[in-house]
Amino acid sequence: MTTDAIEVGGLVKRYGTFVAVDGLDLHVAPGTVHGFLGPNGAGKSTTIRVLLGLGRAGGGRVRVLGLDPATHAAEITRRTSYVPGEVALWPDLTGQEMLDALAGLRGARDTAAERRLTAEFALDTRRRVRTYSKGNRQKVALIAAFAAPTDLLVLDEPTSGLDPLMEEMFQRCVREATADGRTVLLSSHILAEVEKVCDEVTIIKDGRLVEAGRLADLRHLAASTVTARPAADRAVLVAERLRDLGLDVRADDGTLSVSTPRALVPAALGVLAAAEADDITCAPANLEDLFLRHYAVVPR
Amino acid sequence: MSLTRLMLRRLRWTLGAWLLLLVGICFATVSAYQNTYATDQQRRAAAELARADRATTVLYGQLPDPGTPAQMYAWEAGAIVTILVAVMAVLVTVSLTRAPEDDGTLELLRGSGLPQRRPLHSAMTVLAGAAVLLGLGCGAAAGLHTGGVDGVTWSGAAAFGTTIALTFLVLSAGTAVLAQIAATAGHARMLGLAVVGAAFAVRAAADVSGTGALNRLTPLGLRATIEPFSGDHWAAAVPPALAVILLGALAEVLGRRREYGAGFLRRRDTADSRLHTRTPLGLSARLGRSSLLAWTVAVAAVGTLFASMGSGTVEQSRGGDLGGFLGSQLGTGDPVAAYLAYSDTVVGIVVCAYAVLSVLASRRWEGAGLTDLVLTTGVRRWAPLAAQTAVTAAGCAVILVATGALGALVTPAVIDGEDVGTRAFAYAIGQWPAAVATAGCVALLIGLSPRLSALAWLPLAASALLALFGPLLEIPQRIQDLGFFRHVPDVAGPDPAAGALAALVGLGVLLSLLGAAATTRRDVRLS
Repeated sequence: MTTDAIEVGGLVKRYGTFVAVDGLDLHVAPGTVHGFLGPNGAGKSTTIRVLLGLGRAGGGRVRVLGLDPATHAAEITRRTSYVPGEVALWPDLTGQEMLDALAGLRGARDTAAERRLTAEFALDTRRRVRTYSKGNRQKVALIAAFAAPTDLLVLDEPTSGLDPLMEEMFQRCVREATADGRTVLLSSHILAEVEKVCDEVTIIKDGRLVEAGRLADLRHLAASTVTARPAADRAVLVAERLRDLGLDVRADDGTLSVSTPRALVPAALGVLAAAEADDITCAPANLEDLFLRHYAVVPR
Repeated sequence: MSLTRLMLRRLRWTLGAWLLLLVGICFATVSAYQNTYATDQQRRAAAELARADRATTVLYGQLPDPGTPAQMYAWEAGAIVTILVAVMAVLVTVSLTRAPEDDGTLELLRGSGLPQRRPLHSAMTVLAGAAVLLGLGCGAAAGLHTGGVDGVTWSGAAAFGTTIALTFLVLSAGTAVLAQIAATAGHARMLGLAVVGAAFAVRAAADVSGTGALNRLTPLGLRATIEPFSGDHWAAAVPPALAVILLGALAEVLGRRREYGAGFLRRRDTADSRLHTRTPLGLSARLGRSSLLAWTVAVAAVGTLFASMGSGTVEQSRGGDLGGFLGSQLGTGDPVAAYLAYSDTVVGIVVCAYAVLSVLASRRWEGAGLTDLVLTTGVRRWAPLAAQTAVTAAGCAVILVATGALGALVTPAVIDGEDVGTRAFAYAIGQWPAAVATAGCVALLIGLSPRLSALAWLPLAASALLALFGPLLEIPQRIQDLGFFRHVPDVAGPDPAAGALAALVGLGVLLSLLGAAATTRRDVRLS
């Protein structure tokens, strides 16, 4: 068995009496893209800061690239690229100077990759950082992260300021990174993005693990959503038949919406087809549903 | 009207401090000119000396005949006060006009239906009010000595106050124009201070070459054209008053034609420069470069000006009749050494303020997440703070060496005495250990916890109070010795002792190392 790129067992992180992370497990296999999901305040960033040695674990076992970040942060981060969600840069430097500084400090640089990424992300690096939008600042951090010759990429909601075109660019970069054998931990809110690039996910809430595993397996847990517009005079009858199947039916302005486990999808569609309903749709399970089922967030 | 009140409220402490300082100087220095010279004979000799001396002519201008104490006051103290007034005009005008656009505070008000021209009008109202207070305050400060000091009259004092108020208004109106043209508030400030420098240069050229007409072209030449306590030429006040109106109107016209938050000049927002650094030390040095340059120029210029203003005080001290605050500062040793020790202590306090701000930058960067970016390139946890502290100490050395070198060049020309240049240099660089100790204190506080950075100014404030008021308040010597200042020995005196300075450097280095080590035991904290 190969060692995991990230191996966290029973991680605890407290701020005063507030427990931000409470017994979290996280395993990221080398060469994979691992989605790290959770609502705001779930403890994602806190966990990531512990992985990078920016915060100190209050308990549990943490290994990143086989090393303990509490004692070997510099050794770990030398081989790790990090992109925070809110990228702050020195306003008086130009984008190029910022890339120079980050690569210079790391002491390892792939200038060809940096030039290629700068062109692909369409970033004018001659401009001073103070003129950059949030998205442009994020591009600087992303270019520095992907261009650096590192083994692990830790990305904390890295695309929140990017436009859709650049998001696509980002997803391509992630795939290229894994193709090169690099490992990616991607914390995100954008489920479509996670679904497109991640092999496995870990979902946390209130600092605790909710669900972890291969995306393909987790999909079984979620229900598909079937919608349709039956003729007005048959609507009540159709809804009753669907309820007879044991389904949860909601009606809204003539449109029926049914949350359907995978096994019952053919039966539900059969009922609707028999009633000659209009606009029948069937959306497969996505992480949005996983979120909605698990993240009834309580303030704490 | 309410915007005017809001502006006054935002700037009340700044305006109040400037007014207090300037009126205070005007009031406190008058009697010194009467007391310095025991007889008319002595005073006339000093006046002759001053007229013949090129350095004092450059600094203060030409001393009018016959050189009464009132004339000497308007000539010397007047020169210092008008320069300070000019700097005040630039800084205050920019903070009233462009700064609220750059920091975004005005945007909300504009969004709430404030007429476009209102901010400039309100700023002008506040500036006019400040000019009136300055004129009245400084005029009264001088006029109150009528009868006590030869040559001081109420009409002369009125002319003196008018000179100061007009100097302020001309430079304010000029800066208001620059604020419409400049790309940013910082840019406007730089242009304004450059104008002050140019105004000083034109005045100095006019006085050195004897071309009096040139003085009509510079706001700092108003003392020479209005001649308070000599001719009280009120007609000479008309051209600058017209200039104020014209410049104000120009600012108004330009203000209507520019875009909010932008000037007519474009900011250079692109550059092809690269950054070659492989260490946190190099990065800190690069980031602090421009601010260090500004501090060096400012401290060297003002510090040297301050040191060279001491000739009168040194003479007075030689006469043995120096009392009060200055007397307590100078003590009973060699007057030249004592004065330079005093003026360079003030320089030391200012440089320590730079040290505090510079090390605190490290805390700001940590809060903003910049330290995260640096640390995640494989940099050791203790390195960013250690690098910033080391760069700060080196920056303080740069400022002090520049100040000392300039002082060594200028002061021997204006102050009579032995080893003036050597002493000016030595007392300046002798402030470095205090700066290292101050930087070390701040580094330790930040290292222990970012929250403790609220205490960063405490060691400096306590040391400054002990140095400035310790002797006057007769605080026991062993307590005074705990402060960081006043430990610099007289290099020209018999066996200078540098043990305290070595201890300060040692303390600073130790605290810095402890601070850097302490960061490794805590989280990087975002704010």
